[in-house]
Amino acid sequence: MHLKTSRSLLILCTTSLVSSLALADYPERPIEMIVAYSAGGGTDVAARTLVPYLEKHLNADITVVNRPGAGGEVGFTALANAKPDGYTIGFINTPNVISIPIERDTRYEFSDFSLVANIIDDPAGFSVHPDSSFQTFEELVEYAKAHPGELTYGTSGVGGDDHLATLALERQADIEMNHVPFPGAADVRQALMGGHIDIGVINVSEIASAAKAGQVRTLAQGGEERWEEAPDVPTFKELGYDLVMGSARGIAAPAGVPDEIINKISEAAKAAIEEEEFQAAADQQSLPLSYLAPEDYRAMLEEQQERFQALWNESPWNE
Amino acid sequence: MWDNILSALPLLFSPSVLIAMLVGTTIGVFIGALPGLSATMGIAVLIPLTFTMEPLVALGMMAGIFNGAMYGGAIPAILLRIPGTPAGIATVFDGNPMAQKGEGLKAMKIALMSSCIGGSISALCLLLLSPPLASLALRFGPVELFWIAVFGLAAISVLLSDVPVKGLISACFGLLIGMVGIDSMSGYERFTFDVLELSSGISILVILTGLYAIPPALTLAQEATLIKKGAEANSLSASKSKIRWSFFIPTWCRASIIGVIVGIIPGTGGNIAAMLSWNETRRVSKDSSRFGKGAPEGVAAAECANNADNASSLIPALTLGIPGSSVSAVILGGLLVHGLQPGPELFTQSAPVTYGFILSMLVTSIMLFFVGRAGARVFINVMYMPPLILAPIIIALTAIGIYAINNSIFEVWLVFFFGIIGWCMERLSIPLAPAVLAVILGPIAESSLRRAMIIGRGDFAFLFSSPIALVLVTIITLTILSPLIRRVIGHPLLKRASIPQSNDSDQKKHLDS
Repeated sequence: MHLKTSRSLLILCTTSLVSSLALADYPERPIEMIVAYSAGGGTDVAARTLVPYLEKHLNADITVVNRPGAGGEVGFTALANAKPDGYTIGFINTPNVISIPIERDTRYEFSDFSLVANIIDDPAGFSVHPDSSFQTFEELVEYAKAHPGELTYGTSGVGGDDHLATLALERQADIEMNHVPFPGAADVRQALMGGHIDIGVINVSEIASAAKAGQVRTLAQGGEERWEEAPDVPTFKELGYDLVMGSARGIAAPAGVPDEIINKISEAAKAAIEEEEFQAAADQQSLPLSYLAPEDYRAMLEEQQERFQALWNESPWNE
Repeated sequence: MWDNILSALPLLFSPSVLIAMLVGTTIGVFIGALPGLSATMGIAVLIPLTFTMEPLVALGMMAGIFNGAMYGGAIPAILLRIPGTPAGIATVFDGNPMAQKGEGLKAMKIALMSSCIGGSISALCLLLLSPPLASLALRFGPVELFWIAVFGLAAISVLLSDVPVKGLISACFGLLIGMVGIDSMSGYERFTFDVLELSSGISILVILTGLYAIPPALTLAQEATLIKKGAEANSLSASKSKIRWSFFIPTWCRASIIGVIVGIIPGTGGNIAAMLSWNETRRVSKDSSRFGKGAPEGVAAAECANNADNASSLIPALTLGIPGSSVSAVILGGLLVHGLQPGPELFTQSAPVTYGFILSMLVTSIMLFFVGRAGARVFINVMYMPPLILAPIIIALTAIGIYAINNSIFEVWLVFFFGIIGWCMERLSIPLAPAVLAVILGPIAESSLRRAMIIGRGDFAFLFSSPIALVLVTIITLTILSPLIRRVIGHPLLKRASIPQSNDSDQKKHLDS
């Protein structure tokens, strides 16, 4: 309940003070960070791991507020509609932040955000059971070509990065497989390890430890480059597909936050990511870090948005 | 392994870890006892606070909260007919009638003892049987999960009381509510009426607290303003009699096995374990008509099973990184924060901390006994609290608890909305339990069936393609047919069963809860 009070106090302060005060003093109050997923989930843990380091470099208190629901839409909407004074920031996740407004009418648009910094880029990976006859990705594609509609692949949901990556791949490789959506990556992993599905499409960070333990075999992943934690896994690009797909998690603010503030937070995020202690913590959680400055971050998201829109126009993924 | 266990002992019995476990267990009991707060939330809130702690201090506290909360849910279930957590629903069936008969303290003692035993057996399974049980967990695919959900739904049939139509109305209402939200298989919104907050579905905690916590509060207030009822005051008097613990041993064995197995199955939790265990205990009992009217085994079965689910839900989480329930998912997050990656290395490289954590699940199960014993004396006083004070307290705590989950005021309104529905259902003698169980089981059954159909390419024979599936189908058939079989074989039984029907309203009242 006192959260609510502090929020209304915060609004009261902002309305009366912010316009007149010099931006150079930012930050002079606690900052609220909206996480659009539940406490204890992947994004939440990543955010809470980052916060102490971000606090140190920004010299401010940051409170994490979870606003889960509707695949992130509840939190994204809250962030987009917050007052653009730099005291509300939040984590946004691709592809959801981009794909949800393409799928349905939303109360936010991609253009409602000022982009601060990308923090994590977690490529989608294709894994099979260790007993599977597919040793390489090529073998899998060959089999799928010869047996259309026979292979089943599990993802963590309709319209997620795993699903979109597979759809794009099916088109490029001219293959057809059966989609089995699951509620989350852990469920896909379980179904894959139990041999209930043929292929598990799971982000590399979420499958890395199982792959290391020999419980699954990752055949290919959707990063720009190979990942140092799993150097044997080729990228789709290497295999000749024009496909870079994953889930990027970064910090955004409502549109209209002054550039000086955006840059200040972005610099602090960069410094936080470069700290060895934070990198060690991220390593423990298998988080592939990838800092992007505001302009590069925007470029990446805009490119993704065009790609998803084209994919949707061709054939909506929820059919 | 014994070396690892021995090396973990000094870490485990350091003062800071012992205090953390004790604090965790106490917090857990309170979290469990407050409607709207659950172990999942308690641990999730705790995780960021543990960043700077020693790993075992943090994990010991989480273990305490986990075990404490599963018992804590039984306290309001017995005393007030309000299950504190979803896993406490089956405890209401017999626990509250016992309290009404003046055996509240006895019911709480049985619940406590059963919780401790279930928790300890589960922790021992986690310690000793992890590898084989983990491979069993992997065999539960969409097909098997579908049958588990159907098994749970079939168990609802025994809750239908004497007017089956009313029970069916309740179950169908639950199935309908379970459909609200974005369909996970197609991505389309169902019954969301363009309300953003409804698109991720209605949380089970909202339904549970709405249907179970608000109506008793309203009834309390109503009674307080009409006549002062003195019936509650005798809850201590009859409880002096000694409890014969050996009587419960078969029930505990059955409940522990059910709890451990349900625990390792991903996607199922203590609520399903308690429900199935209660139902099985009732089915094998010589006189099943006592159930729902204050049978002590009913309380023991439900509470033992929901704690036996705890440590075992960590088996697939620790060995394979696959959480068996929502609480173990959060604990998995907590392990990751402390640099413990699930998988075989957990039991080799980080053995002292891992085994320390597993042992803390065992130690907190035992600690729970002492915390619970002390707590029972305090909690029983709730029965003496004037209804005019108790009713607003229940409503306020419920509202705070629900708001705290997602910082959503919408869900608080939703709780009040379901509260009014629940109150109307009670007035009309429509049982509440089928609705809540249908909300939990309906979506599991639906999405598992559709997943199985995709994998099996539309062939219904695929649903009968595994040994586990066939075993489950057999048990389900027995459950559904058992009243019929009983009617055919045992005419005397039928006669005996028809005698208590003279006080229908009594039976109905208990089953409603």
